[in-house]
Amino acid sequence: MINARRMLVLAAAGTLAIASAVSAQTVDTSKRIKVAMVPKLVGLSVFKANQQGAEAAAKTLNIDFLYTGPVTASAQGQVDVFNSLIARKFDVITTTSNNPTQLAPALKRAMKQGIKVVSYDSDVAPDARDFFIQNTEYPAFGKALVDSVAKYIPADSEVAILSSTKDATIQNEWISALTAYMKTAYPKMKIVTTEYGQSDPSKSLTAGLNILQAHPNVAAIIAPDGASEVGAAAAVQKLGRTGKVFVTGCSNPDAIRQYIKAGIIKASPLWDEVKEGQLVMHVARLAANGALKPNDTFSVPGLGNYTVKDKVIIFSEPLIFTAENIDQYKF
Amino acid sequence: MSAWERSLLILLVIVTTGFGLEVPGFFDDISGFLSMTSNFLPFGIVALGLSLVIFTGGIDLSVGATASLAAVIAAQLWATMGLNIWVASLIGLAVGGVLGGINAAVIVFLRVEPLIATLATSFIYTSAAVAVAGDAPPSGFPDAFNSLGSGALGLGHFQLPYQLLLFLPLAVLFWLLVGRSAFGRKLVTVGYNSEAARYSGIRVPRVLAAAYVISGMMAALAGLVLSAYYSAARADMGDVLLLTTIAMVVLGGVSIFGGEGSMGGVIVAVLLLGLLRQGMLIAGFSDMVTSMLTGAILIGSIAVRNLFSSRAGGFGRRLLAFVRRPAVAGTDITRHDAP
Amino acid sequence: MPARRPVVAPRFAMTRELMLVAVTLGLTVMVGLLNHDFIGAQNLRFMLLNSVVLSLVALGQTLVIAMRGIDLSVAPILGLAAMVCGLLAQTHGLSLAAALPLALSIGLVLGTINGLLVATMDIPPIVVTLGTYSLYSGLTFLYSDGTQVDAVPPTFAAFGNGHLLGIVPVPTPVVVLLVVLALCWYVLRHTGFGRAVLAVGNNASAAYAAGLPVTWVRIRVYALSGTLAAFAGLMFLCYTGSATVTAGTGDHIELQSIAVSLIGGTAIAGGRGNLIGTVLGSLFLSVVLTALVFLHVPPIWYSAGEGLMILAAVQAGIGRRRGARA
Repeated sequence: MINARRMLVLAAAGTLAIASAVSAQTVDTSKRIKVAMVPKLVGLSVFKANQQGAEAAAKTLNIDFLYTGPVTASAQGQVDVFNSLIARKFDVITTTSNNPTQLAPALKRAMKQGIKVVSYDSDVAPDARDFFIQNTEYPAFGKALVDSVAKYIPADSEVAILSSTKDATIQNEWISALTAYMKTAYPKMKIVTTEYGQSDPSKSLTAGLNILQAHPNVAAIIAPDGASEVGAAAAVQKLGRTGKVFVTGCSNPDAIRQYIKAGIIKASPLWDEVKEGQLVMHVARLAANGALKPNDTFSVPGLGNYTVKDKVIIFSEPLIFTAENIDQYKF
Repeated sequence: MSAWERSLLILLVIVTTGFGLEVPGFFDDISGFLSMTSNFLPFGIVALGLSLVIFTGGIDLSVGATASLAAVIAAQLWATMGLNIWVASLIGLAVGGVLGGINAAVIVFLRVEPLIATLATSFIYTSAAVAVAGDAPPSGFPDAFNSLGSGALGLGHFQLPYQLLLFLPLAVLFWLLVGRSAFGRKLVTVGYNSEAARYSGIRVPRVLAAAYVISGMMAALAGLVLSAYYSAARADMGDVLLLTTIAMVVLGGVSIFGGEGSMGGVIVAVLLLGLLRQGMLIAGFSDMVTSMLTGAILIGSIAVRNLFSSRAGGFGRRLLAFVRRPAVAGTDITRHDAP
Repeated sequence: MPARRPVVAPRFAMTRELMLVAVTLGLTVMVGLLNHDFIGAQNLRFMLLNSVVLSLVALGQTLVIAMRGIDLSVAPILGLAAMVCGLLAQTHGLSLAAALPLALSIGLVLGTINGLLVATMDIPPIVVTLGTYSLYSGLTFLYSDGTQVDAVPPTFAAFGNGHLLGIVPVPTPVVVLLVVLALCWYVLRHTGFGRAVLAVGNNASAAYAAGLPVTWVRIRVYALSGTLAAFAGLMFLCYTGSATVTAGTGDHIELQSIAVSLIGGTAIAGGRGNLIGTVLGSLFLSVVLTALVFLHVPPIWYSAGEGLMILAAVQAGIGRRRGARA
């Protein structure tokens, strides 16, 4: 006997599948547009992973892609680049920012001229961009950062933070998330200092050394930046504190593999940077086409379905690298 | 106008027209073109003051740090003490003068070489700037102040940037000061030969002090303009000033040893290097590539100049002399001048 | 008639070196009393190792200053060598044995360019090296496209942090530094070239009149400075395990190398060069900066400390002369 209900469900599912497949293929790529990706600094490996994904996506979306930016973590450097992009009449500017407010005047000027602005990773002032792609939910990431080290150290340990720059939006969001979580989950744990490595590996190394020398009882360093996690781990190794001090942060797997294998980093949260780069391009395309609303849903073939809420899109859950899975990821 | 200044002017015209024709966005309209000057005139302001120091045969490596420190102090006076931003700026200018005075004191009283003295003070001023800026460097200045850095005066349908309105009178003032005043003559004489200057009655310490104080004030002014432009005062804001301004001064024809050169050349060099950099940035070249070009032009210009002057006696002749150097000193009677 | 030998710079008493050693030891002991970890073997080794890169750069700078020149481009030369070797090692498996001659060649070429511009085109050294500073930094950027090197092969890391052949209990970089110091010292004090360098720095016209090949001496000294800076770049790569476009230039190692040479007793007016003093000065600086960290002095004051030290060192100068800049 035919189960009518089952038939109905199948029919509905089928229609939905066809509909989403159709809608995914109806991204209008008829007009060639110029999209720029302006990271905090061009050399950081995690941003280069974004670039990788973006370049691949740009090919399928009829996008003239440019990856450019300052060589050091400088808001002024990003402003100079924006000025150049405005003069060259780019269609979309995508950026992850060194400072939430300093980039706003230039970006607002761009928006006034009809250029779409999509921020990702590290946000700018909300009125200076059309959409923002948030890596993960901040509380979840803060929890992941703390749990990555807290499991291995005594509950009343001293912990230090090694961040990128003082005003980097995303680092500051994570730092407030992790401090809040630490207060409730590990109330006896103390954050004794916060230092800055400027997203530069050798400055991060120096900052890491400073932390360990000035605070010899520190049991863990939380370093939520691509270069600072490497610097902190290198500092631990250099001072011979492997096994006594644990490090976590958010760096790309290739850079931290040796430290995970050495046991300095037990777990390190991140997300798929390459796929995020693809998403940035898709959102840029949709924004340029005027096809995305402040509250909306859309899907990207190969990436999944996404919701836009108040112009914010959350990319994924935290992806935790450990000794078990570190060799599976290459970027 | 000297031959050097004329060549610079011709180069300026070539660069401007070249970029105007080739690079879209460089010259859309006269207002847009003039607004570009807001990006590099702070360097020009520093160059005006720095020239005075270099005329005396000295150098001021602390201009960047002075700019940052003065700007940060002014900003903090406004942010944490509630002082009116313009009053705070005047205090910032005075601070720049004091910092320049400290440089002069170290050079004259402690008898330290200007290179070393200003190297040392640049380290100290940088530290002070970071300390004063604190954890949250002040930002978000009143719009009236910000317009000094990024705004323009509307004259009909044509916009004249405030920075240009500030720079041009200063440029004329400095040009008159160096070229047409007694002080200017004393300045150059001190650089040419400080002993002879002393013997002819010039109060060398006073002249030096004036030069460094003015350089400090100009650096402070540049720092204030930069903070208006970015609507933020940071301790590292002035870092970028030093190398480019020295290049502007030297390209302008002022001898690094002092005693030679003119302000006119410096002003043209400021415009030349500034527009060159802007043109390249708009064309999409990276900042570092643009700096390479500045460095190449700096070296190239002096090399070319030396080829045609008596200082080096010509590259060809030198090469030949190097190859044909006598086996025994003193036997080549054709050489009259020392290397 | 045989060529007259140039006037040799007078041998001065070792007072500057002794003073530096005394001050460094005194400071170490004082801070060690406040914090026992400071005087522990691990930290002493660290402070020593930390000073090696700067010492290498400063040795070259000392020779240049002794010749009454100045070399601001040592910073980007260090950066370029570190970046080229680092990228090739990280992505193409360049071996340490191949990296060494590569780095040295880079420094030799870039330094020789400096020397040619100064000596044959008669452009003041400060102008030349200011120009090549931006040229060489730009080269580093163009070559790397902004990429950061953050993982070096184990052989490099071992060279920068390990002990020589695993048996001698002194870190490899320190041994290397001592060898380089000995070589430079020998060249400066016991070869004709070394004496010529001092003579040219003392009085170039007199040196020329005395028959010295001033131009050739100048070219060689800048070449040497560049080579040492590039070697320091390789050492930097091995020690920190990283390289960026701003390696060297970011910390203004060119200004630090000048500072350390001055602290070590070399006069900016030329004519004398204190190589041992330079190395001691670099070690002193390393001890001071580490002490500031241990004593919880906020990092913002480190720069001021350096500036004050330069002034103090120059004030305490022996036979310090006023004179024209380079």
